[in-house]
Amino acid sequence: MEFFRKTLDPVIALSAIAILDIFLFLLVGAWTVGGGETMMTGLIAQFFIGDSINQIPFWQEVFKPDAGYWKIYISLGMLFGAIVGAVASKEFFWRFPKRLSEWVMITIGGLLMGIGIRLAFVCNVSTFFGLTPELNLGGYLSMSGIIAGAWFGSLIYKRVLEG
Amino acid sequence: MMSPVAECLIAFVFGSVVGLLVQRSRFCNTAALRDAMLFKTFRNTKALLVAMMVLTIGFTGFISIGAGNPMRFDVGLNQVLGLFLFGTGMVLAGACTVSTWVKAGEGNFGAVWALLFTFIGMFLFSLIWSFLYWPPAPSAMTGELSLERLQLGFSNAETLQEKTGIPAIVFGLIQAAVLFYIYQAIKRKEAKQQGSAGVESI
Repeated sequence: MEFFRKTLDPVIALSAIAILDIFLFLLVGAWTVGGGETMMTGLIAQFFIGDSINQIPFWQEVFKPDAGYWKIYISLGMLFGAIVGAVASKEFFWRFPKRLSEWVMITIGGLLMGIGIRLAFVCNVSTFFGLTPELNLGGYLSMSGIIAGAWFGSLIYKRVLEG
Repeated sequence: MMSPVAECLIAFVFGSVVGLLVQRSRFCNTAALRDAMLFKTFRNTKALLVAMMVLTIGFTGFISIGAGNPMRFDVGLNQVLGLFLFGTGMVLAGACTVSTWVKAGEGNFGAVWALLFTFIGMFLFSLIWSFLYWPPAPSAMTGELSLERLQLGFSNAETLQEKTGIPAIVFGLIQAAVLFYIYQAIKRKEAKQQGSAGVESI
């Protein structure tokens, strides 16, 4: 099948995603990833520490762990769709970061992303595919933050690449 | 009102199509910002801008007629700080929230590792929040300006329409025009780059 042999033009892919996102907005709410990931974090923490999670106010007042939270299933769907795409196009294979510096950057980057999402209440997807198109003030604040952050991250990235 | 099971099913189907399209197109939000800044290449930036134009017109169009489910929560300094940390983190990790899931689906263990530490980061912040109680929890949000809590309140296309009496789509079209202008500027820049590359190869 041609679709799995050639790389799709990202403008076409993102236009299709945008139209689907409008339908999602009408049915439940715009596309977002950070909320689902937070709920997964709560559920994983509950799995490991049991009822002790009730002693952490965040998991009572902000995100009460609930496996029926719809946003979780967007992320699981993305994983599933990517596996289907990668297997069907014979692009699935295990890859591991080779250098220690890569492991360090990914670890710090992951931590910063998690802390940043929870501090802001939004992720990059909500920023670009939800809040800003809804003309939400939070979208413009988030865009200014992410552009400045990406610029700062790029300076570090460049230094590591050169070093 | 939709049942929670139906909501989860719709979310899963939506996510699956997104995962497939992102995997096949190699779109990456991190690259949309990083590549534009570092390498002056705009493949992903242009796609992001087109999606934002379509979404702006679609969302504000439906908001104009009272349809849709826009996000409603107070915003403030925490969005700037949080997304600054996020933006730095995504460039270091080489993936954003979408590409971590998509790359994980392609067998990229670095993406799985980034996801794991995103979860750890979220849990660490839940501990910090439980000490600071900032930014305010949804139940403590007022929708109003609160300088002591560094919150600006709540404002979106709906509130703009209510306050001005002008349909939200009008503001949406203005934003879409600005995004289109940026898109065109990028296209002009690319044409210039190709032109100078052509001269060099001669």
